[in-house]
Amino acid sequence: MSTNEGFVLQSAPHAHGRSSIPFIMHAVNLSLIPAIVISILYFGWHILGLYVLGVASCVLTEAVTKVIRKKDWRTIFDGSAIVTGLLLVMILPPSITPIMVILGSVVSIFIGKEVFGGLGQNVFNPALVGRAFLSAAYPVALTTWTEPNRVFAFLPDAASSATPLAGARFEGQAESMLRMFFGQTSGSIGATSVLFIMIGGLVLTFMGIVKWRMLVSFFGTIVVTTGIFWLIDPTIYQDPLYHLLAGGVAFAGFYMMSDMVTTPYTNRGIVIFGVGAGLITVVIRLFGGFPEGVMFAILLMNSVTPIINRYVNNRVFGAEART
Amino acid sequence: MLASRIRGGVHPAYRKELASGQPIETAPTPERVDIPLAQHLGVPATAKVARGDEVAPGDLIGEATKLICANVHSPVAGKVRAVVQKPLPGGRLCDYVEIQVDREATDAHIWERQDIDLDKIDQKWVAATLRGAGIVGMGGATFPTDVKFSPPPNASLDTLILNGAECEPYLSCDHRMMVEHAEELLHGMLLADAAFAFSRLVIAIEKNKPDAIAAFNAAIDALGLRNAARTPVEVIGLDVRYPQGAEKVLIKVVTGRTVPAGKLPFEVGVVVSNGQTLFALYEAAYFGKPLVDRVVTVSGEGIERPKNIRALIGTPVADLIQLCGGVDPATTKVIAGGPMTGTALPSLDYVVTKGLSGLLFLTQSEYPSESPCIRCGSCVEVCPMGLMPLKLAAYAKAGKFELAKATNLADCFECGSCAWACPANIQIVSWIKYAKNYIRVKGL
Repeated sequence: MSTNEGFVLQSAPHAHGRSSIPFIMHAVNLSLIPAIVISILYFGWHILGLYVLGVASCVLTEAVTKVIRKKDWRTIFDGSAIVTGLLLVMILPPSITPIMVILGSVVSIFIGKEVFGGLGQNVFNPALVGRAFLSAAYPVALTTWTEPNRVFAFLPDAASSATPLAGARFEGQAESMLRMFFGQTSGSIGATSVLFIMIGGLVLTFMGIVKWRMLVSFFGTIVVTTGIFWLIDPTIYQDPLYHLLAGGVAFAGFYMMSDMVTTPYTNRGIVIFGVGAGLITVVIRLFGGFPEGVMFAILLMNSVTPIINRYVNNRVFGAEART
Repeated sequence: MLASRIRGGVHPAYRKELASGQPIETAPTPERVDIPLAQHLGVPATAKVARGDEVAPGDLIGEATKLICANVHSPVAGKVRAVVQKPLPGGRLCDYVEIQVDREATDAHIWERQDIDLDKIDQKWVAATLRGAGIVGMGGATFPTDVKFSPPPNASLDTLILNGAECEPYLSCDHRMMVEHAEELLHGMLLADAAFAFSRLVIAIEKNKPDAIAAFNAAIDALGLRNAARTPVEVIGLDVRYPQGAEKVLIKVVTGRTVPAGKLPFEVGVVVSNGQTLFALYEAAYFGKPLVDRVVTVSGEGIERPKNIRALIGTPVADLIQLCGGVDPATTKVIAGGPMTGTALPSLDYVVTKGLSGLLFLTQSEYPSESPCIRCGSCVEVCPMGLMPLKLAAYAKAGKFELAKATNLADCFECGSCAWACPANIQIVSWIKYAKNYIRVKGL
């Protein structure tokens, strides 16, 4: 037997699981389809154009930046720029202009990701960086909301559900909750429909891409803290279910806080992040100058994630008995 | 008794079906054997023969000179051609004793059965038998077994676990040994029990080997071990999960005890032994036969007929390949051991050693390069030791060896779960080994 040279020499392990960065990113992209489809139905076909524009701008920005930095531009195929493009459009108002989408995308990828060194290096969630930039640059456009088309006929529309009767107050609220659950309410393009976000989000949770501890700690914190205020005075404070369904909480929980790069990686770190983001969200919502606080909550927690990762370590097997 | 679930771990593609149904086949005596004197963890043995010496089966050719060291014996009758230095697959230089085999004399040799009075053997006798026969951990770690069975005076051993997890993909040599030689393995355990008077004898097998579990239950009945007066022998079926067979992991699962970081299992009163190791003890005790052969799984998509082969130590890999019908030209990687922890071989110029559990021919065509870490935490989640593999890899890459050391580098036993799970394909174990080697060689 001759000596057969040319075998691959590599350290163990010589087997690898199915997971890869493109696999994770494309799983996220595919899981967004229900929420994307319903957002087009709610706000019109031009929304589809905005998605295409956002994704194309993000991918192009990444490619151009990589070429300028003399790095491999083929990282655009890892799917992460597509995720950023989709998420950015989904958290903008339906009346957003194409030029704002392009600007936001460029800022998301360039300032949000590439200046840090690209995927894996960034501190802040790129899509939120883009949105924060747009809300500073175009404060009016970013707070202008349009009513969605009536997609689900069985849901009462907003106008008819208003009733002067005190006895119907509870019923009216239940109907408004139901509308929020289906997303037939004004809000960001892709973040209104809790139901359709959950369809994709729970698939990701089952796959382990969205961490269930993050969901439980974030949603749990919001329910508990808003619940306390609601119990203190229900005439001033909304009930916990409202806080869970309203605004961007569901979307943020499933899709913004599942960005692995900008959130902690230990189980305890994840819980700290979820609780922290939940508390900040509630504080801004109840006492701050903005009606919605999720974006700032996540950006703030992003900034402390490196510290969490540094100091929150797992317990090493047998370490307590180390001498 | 129900075993608990291991911490972390992964489910690699097992591919055991390739070889697990193949009964053990004995390889013909080779024309030549090349026997490395460093087949074990620790200091290499010292050559006791020189060019031109005649040897008989069982003759000592390499002597253990230190505690963490093992004797090496000639598996054949023949004449020493040379004692030369050659690199082991890992790159370390090692003395090899090359023997021209007298096949007739070798095949004519018979290991005579000798009688043993189980009541008279003690701990010293077991340790001496193990040491004399050059027995090392045959699951792949190759730690000298006599050291495991020599607890310090203040420690006492109460549990013996036969490690039948065989959690590495592809490998089935232990599986076949358990199915075909359950009684002999039990005799190995009873020998140890006679000396140590354990309170528990446990045979721990992953549930994907039901025939091995059945074989042990039958053997326990056949030997009349279900007797209240005897040490109870338990056969435990473990949920399939890698790295179940890692010593500390297995002890935790079977006994609930945690071996302190940086310590050996006798700290918690447990000895874990691979099945083939106990078989070697049985043969050494009842036949005076040193460790001169073992069962190797030859498998993988790149080998014509996967098999489990009993081969003499020093048998060339080429002989095993011939017995298995040849190698597919699509083979890109050859591995000594299992795919999770084994060593990639640079060429087929290698031999059967005491620790060679498998010889795998893999046809994987793509070897993707490393992407940036996205801090997904997969490695953290699967680490059975609760380490932070991504930090260790990053510190090693950055040359921050002090930080790596302070982040419990030494507690990693290199099971490979982290690198297996890493979506960025980072060679985490490689980086960890690099840091360990750097610290070992250059100090801090």
